[in-house]
Amino acid sequence: MKIALQVNGEHHSLEIADENTPLLWVVRDLLNLKGTKFGCGKAACGACTLHVDGEAVRSCSYAVKFADGKKVTTIEGLGNEEAPHPVQQAWLEHVVPQCGYCQPGFMMATAALISKNPKPTDEDIDKNIINICRCATYYRMRKAIHRAAELERQRLSLTPKNIENGEE
Amino acid sequence: MAKNKISRRKFLVRGGLGTIGVLAVGTYLFRNPIRRQIAGALNTADTPYLGDTSTPVIWFEITEENIVILHSPKVEMGQGTFTGLAQMAAEELEIDMSQIEVVHAQSISGNVDSFATGGSTSISALWVPLRELAATMREMLLQKAAEKMEVEKSTLTISQGKVYSGSTEMSYAQIAEGVVEWEVPDTPKLKPVSQMKWVGKPVPRVDLADKVFGAPIFGMDATLPNMLYGSVVRSSKIGAVYKDADISKAENMPGVVKIVKEDDFVGVVAQSFTEAENAKNAIEVTWETTKNWQTQDIRSMLEVGKGTPFVIQKAGDVDDFLADDSTVESSYWSPIGAHAQIEPNGALAHVEKDKATIYMSTQVVKISRDEIANRLGLAKDQVNLVPTFLGGGFGRRLHTPNGIQAAVLSKAVGRPVKCFFSRKEEFQNDTFRPPTHHVLKAKLDNDGGIETFEHNVSSGDVAFGSPMVPGIAEPILGADLGAWRGGMVQYGAIPNYQAISWRVQLPFATSWWRSLGLLANTFAIESFMDELAVKAKKNPADFRLAHIQKDDRGERLANVIKKVVEVSGYKDELVNNRAMGFAASTDANTPCAQVVEVSIEHNEIKVHKVTCAMDPGLVVNLDQVKAQCEGAIIMGISASLFEKMEVEDGALTPTIYGPYQMAMMKHSPKEIDIILLQGADAPGAVGEPPLGPIGAAIANAVFRLTGQRIRRMPLQDHLQV
Amino acid sequence: MNRIVVLLVIFSLGAFYLIGSNKEPPLEAYTVIPEVKIDSLTAERAYEEVMNVLMHPRCMNCHPTDDIPKQGMDRHPHYFGMSRGKENKGFSATKCATCHQEANNLNSGVPGAPHWSLAPASMGWQGLSRSEIAQRLLDPETNGGKSHKELVTHMTEDELVLWAWNPGVDANGIPRKKPPISEEEFKKAVEKWFDEGAPVPSK
Repeated sequence: MKIALQVNGEHHSLEIADENTPLLWVVRDLLNLKGTKFGCGKAACGACTLHVDGEAVRSCSYAVKFADGKKVTTIEGLGNEEAPHPVQQAWLEHVVPQCGYCQPGFMMATAALISKNPKPTDEDIDKNIINICRCATYYRMRKAIHRAAELERQRLSLTPKNIENGEE
Repeated sequence: MAKNKISRRKFLVRGGLGTIGVLAVGTYLFRNPIRRQIAGALNTADTPYLGDTSTPVIWFEITEENIVILHSPKVEMGQGTFTGLAQMAAEELEIDMSQIEVVHAQSISGNVDSFATGGSTSISALWVPLRELAATMREMLLQKAAEKMEVEKSTLTISQGKVYSGSTEMSYAQIAEGVVEWEVPDTPKLKPVSQMKWVGKPVPRVDLADKVFGAPIFGMDATLPNMLYGSVVRSSKIGAVYKDADISKAENMPGVVKIVKEDDFVGVVAQSFTEAENAKNAIEVTWETTKNWQTQDIRSMLEVGKGTPFVIQKAGDVDDFLADDSTVESSYWSPIGAHAQIEPNGALAHVEKDKATIYMSTQVVKISRDEIANRLGLAKDQVNLVPTFLGGGFGRRLHTPNGIQAAVLSKAVGRPVKCFFSRKEEFQNDTFRPPTHHVLKAKLDNDGGIETFEHNVSSGDVAFGSPMVPGIAEPILGADLGAWRGGMVQYGAIPNYQAISWRVQLPFATSWWRSLGLLANTFAIESFMDELAVKAKKNPADFRLAHIQKDDRGERLANVIKKVVEVSGYKDELVNNRAMGFAASTDANTPCAQVVEVSIEHNEIKVHKVTCAMDPGLVVNLDQVKAQCEGAIIMGISASLFEKMEVEDGALTPTIYGPYQMAMMKHSPKEIDIILLQGADAPGAVGEPPLGPIGAAIANAVFRLTGQRIRRMPLQDHLQV
Repeated sequence: MNRIVVLLVIFSLGAFYLIGSNKEPPLEAYTVIPEVKIDSLTAERAYEEVMNVLMHPRCMNCHPTDDIPKQGMDRHPHYFGMSRGKENKGFSATKCATCHQEANNLNSGVPGAPHWSLAPASMGWQGLSRSEIAQRLLDPETNGGKSHKELVTHMTEDELVLWAWNPGVDANGIPRKKPPISEEEFKKAVEKWFDEGAPVPSK
């Protein structure tokens, strides 16, 4: 099956033998973007979380055929050292990662959360951020999520147009 | 090998490991600064650095940009070791943190640790040797600078990676350029802690940016040109031995390159991960199994009294102990625990004619390398084990047959092969935290003081059976030092006490799990101490303090207890439907005391706040020591409240997160207060000690809330509602 | 060593541990009725057949009365604390669709179908009797204003409803159990029941 999709702003046209191949492996092994992680392959841990058309998706359980014609964002496309995404900025400020393996998934889930809800309460965070971190960095993560939301609100207030649109 | 040709005083610059524009400086110690008896080391779990410090191996490189690259023989699995080592080295090298990078030492560099990365020993073990190495290299650079500048060495000054002589300056890179022979001076005197610039500061992690921007740093991320994907069939049944496999269906599956049948396993090599998995599932394996194990079988094997006993601690006279009616006795249990680290085990292997290169997440670089060399029939220096960042360690990567399997598959197809475990295989082929049974007995005197105390711990093996503790050492050691970690009585003022470790060999692999026996042993001992305090009608913290002996170790323990009481405002009563729970432990010479604030909401045990006072000695990185405490506390909450593996019909279960319940964001306390006392002038253990008190502290709080003394982990399962 | 021997005896007598094996509760939600030829269905029999399906975990798991979706034949609460959210589709960022797509995923075992979501809260059935469920189903106040005709269409054509007969595999690759009668039999039973005016036996 021919799949056309945009990943981190780049167009790709791929010939995929099995259209049910998880998007995770297409991103990791075909496009060589290793930031999206394999943790369980059962949509249980969230390490593979990325965005499809702005929505958080667990890519180990997302057949690539559903991504046809869509925009995919991975941790590599979220931001970079020169221009970190508010979530990445907050993660740097709070020195969140330990082993770091699950962190891209958490950051993608958080980026989705603050794009829908730029002022999440602790309860909102508890409900939406349900990935698993074995190093248990949750304590700092919660602080970083509040900080990321704060940075996001500052960013939105600079560009009032975005407030109406909600998502960027 | 070249090492025999190198003079004791001079050696040549070695190759730059294939990197370009790099000046590689190997250095070594003249004298081994750590001559401690191994037995003594094991006794305190104070493990010395066991790497080779007598031959030149690569520790430091200097790049043309004047960046020093430290080759670490310890691996980075989140514990922050790379950052601490960088701080320690920068101190003696007189460079800024921005001028140092840390990489994993590849085994071919010769900088290989014979022990492992584990047991909370990395920073403490390298505290002296690494600074001596750095100081030695600094002096070598100064000496060369003096020669190049044609001035006396003593007239030179040094700052931020540059050497100054009056108005002339040379960077380390300029000094090292073109040098092929180095003079090695006697080991210089080290800088006193009071003059240190980086040690003690909350320096950001050196791997922070890589981990925030998704850099491909883990074993799972390794790739090589022309790489294929492998998958190995693993049994879901305990004790199953591979006999044979019918590969006829799998052979013709899409993407399959080769099915590899060995004497001990069968694996697939395919074009993609999913194709390898699908083909693997089509292989029909004949397994030889013995018994259809159930949880009840394991529990009954484990009862104290059934294994082999070994007295690990004894003081005073406990002989009349059992005769007395007034003996208090309790029995505690802990379940099988899974590592559940998020990065599955795996490896990328490229086996060529006379050499092999293996990229993998491992805590035992040398053992992994040696096992692979053995299996391939290669010499050890023909195998280059390239350690990667670990997506979690926790003891899971001390046994690494996955490296061998990847190498065998690669050899069979003549191309690089990457293979790794599925999550189900991770859960079923883990080297589990062994389940434990504890029987505690005590007798109180007329004043409510403890007169006699006994702890029996029965556990599956932790250290025994691991490649790090050879079988020959077992009869010498007697008891499994991992199983009894945390199992000794830390209250030395009790007149009569003893601890007995009962060894049980379980039918599945058990091993190191962050903090080894500490979590379960402290859960049992400190819950029981609370029972005794309640019986004696004493404040639980004061009760502990009254039984601490007057020596250095005792003083440090007393200090953390007093500190945690003071900072938490500990009260032995309910406030706003919350109870405070207290517990303390000493692990690898690091005492730690915790107070938790707990309530029960919708029948769930909820931990709101944890105050933790710990004395790990000198703190190298304030921020990362706190991070380790925070993580260990929440991991301890997870294990104490929720986690358990069962044995059903011969298989370990569950096999996925969710059914294997772990703490998530919503279970994390909203307040964690860490207070670090520094009661020793060298760094001690950090990564594991704070896992000790948490389970008992929660159980002790639950007792105050409900009157229920829960003596079985996971606590949430056994809460009567 | 004497002491050890004594301990051995004491402990082997003393310490027994009962396993807390959380056996799944027995499945009593639907009643077994004898095989019948669908053509000869009475309205009452059709009703029973329909209700047997609706009370099967494949249907019931997404009709909770506590806003928490259920999973598996033991109808345990959905792992990880997922719940209804504002629009029956989970929370603002972590939605049902974060994991559940338009089709079952045979690699992960995550089930999927178009518009995967919980039934509206007004259509919560869990814990209700058969007749209470039938009443909620038939009442336009609770069923989203559906007429009998629209209900028949919904129950015999909606892809999420019919997912019950295409439930995919679980996380271990084992096929999920389907409702007690086939999709065709169910459709016939639905039509028969509504043809007869959807009577709810009072018992």
